[in-house]
Amino acid sequence: MIIVMENHKNHHNEDQHETHHIASYKEHFSTLAALLLLTVVTVVVSVFGANLATLSVATALLIATIKVIVVAYYFMHLKYEKKIYSWLILLVVVLFVAFTVLTAIEYLNR
Amino acid sequence: MEHATGFVLPNSGHNRDAEASKMGMWLFLFTELLLFGGLFIVYMVYRLMNHDAFLLSSFELNVAMGTINTVVLLVSSMTIAMSITAIQKGNSILSIKLLATTLILSLVFMIIKYFEWSAKIHHGFFPGMEYYSNLPKGEALFFFLYFFMTGLHALHIIIGAVLIAVVIYRTKKGQVHSENYTLTENAGLYWHLVDLIWIYLFPLFYLIH
Repeated sequence: MIIVMENHKNHHNEDQHETHHIASYKEHFSTLAALLLLTVVTVVVSVFGANLATLSVATALLIATIKVIVVAYYFMHLKYEKKIYSWLILLVVVLFVAFTVLTAIEYLNR
Repeated sequence: MEHATGFVLPNSGHNRDAEASKMGMWLFLFTELLLFGGLFIVYMVYRLMNHDAFLLSSFELNVAMGTINTVVLLVSSMTIAMSITAIQKGNSILSIKLLATTLILSLVFMIIKYFEWSAKIHHGFFPGMEYYSNLPKGEALFFFLYFFMTGLHALHIIIGAVLIAVVIYRTKKGQVHSENYTLTENAGLYWHLVDLIWIYLFPLFYLIH
């Protein structure tokens, strides 16, 4: 009961940010380090794996996707956000993938 | 309003909703994602149709410059994320410094982009130029998409930079502070989106060979 009242009070306190988790500088720095490492990997794969054309494109896109997830999860605070944001993003991603796959199927069956 | 004169709304002074603002920003970002998403689908189809021409054309792009710009954007994404941490902790001065760093990095990005584009335009790769008009169809398509997609992305960089400048100004004036930093957060989200799009543009144009 007390907890409920506390929550109720907080809600009206305008201190809506106070309950938010604050990401540390260190966490942001580690995230950058990981992203830079992935960039190095993708450039190296592309420049030195030139004879594996298709494979290196797939690899590059895979690495790009990992980077995007890292940026969204840490820099864009999805880690600390309400689940609704992740669900909405998933919805948009599913939509885009559906458009892409349908277009590809249409093209390949021509 | 003098409170003695009458009715005051029970929530007066509280008509701010950080959560709704953030949700609004995310919804806007979704439209941006689908805008670029459509262009990525166009890219995919033209690339399937002109596989070899696309591979050949991508050799014309400067991988070193593209890589440097990738690093610049990643670092700027970190500095703007840190500026949110700073403002949450009540350190407005540090927040402004980090935002200013982000702004400078956006300029660096644009300067490198300027040199890249100038070199391409100098060689006549820009759509409408004589050299471009004589290119085989697949290569012309590659450069059309290159200028269109990196151009649209550069436009987003400029908009993001203006937005960051506004955040710096309002933080300086004390309108953005540890109790109200929605603007910083939303500018950050927009800036990260610009970074996300570049993360895909970079391998698709520079690294496909």
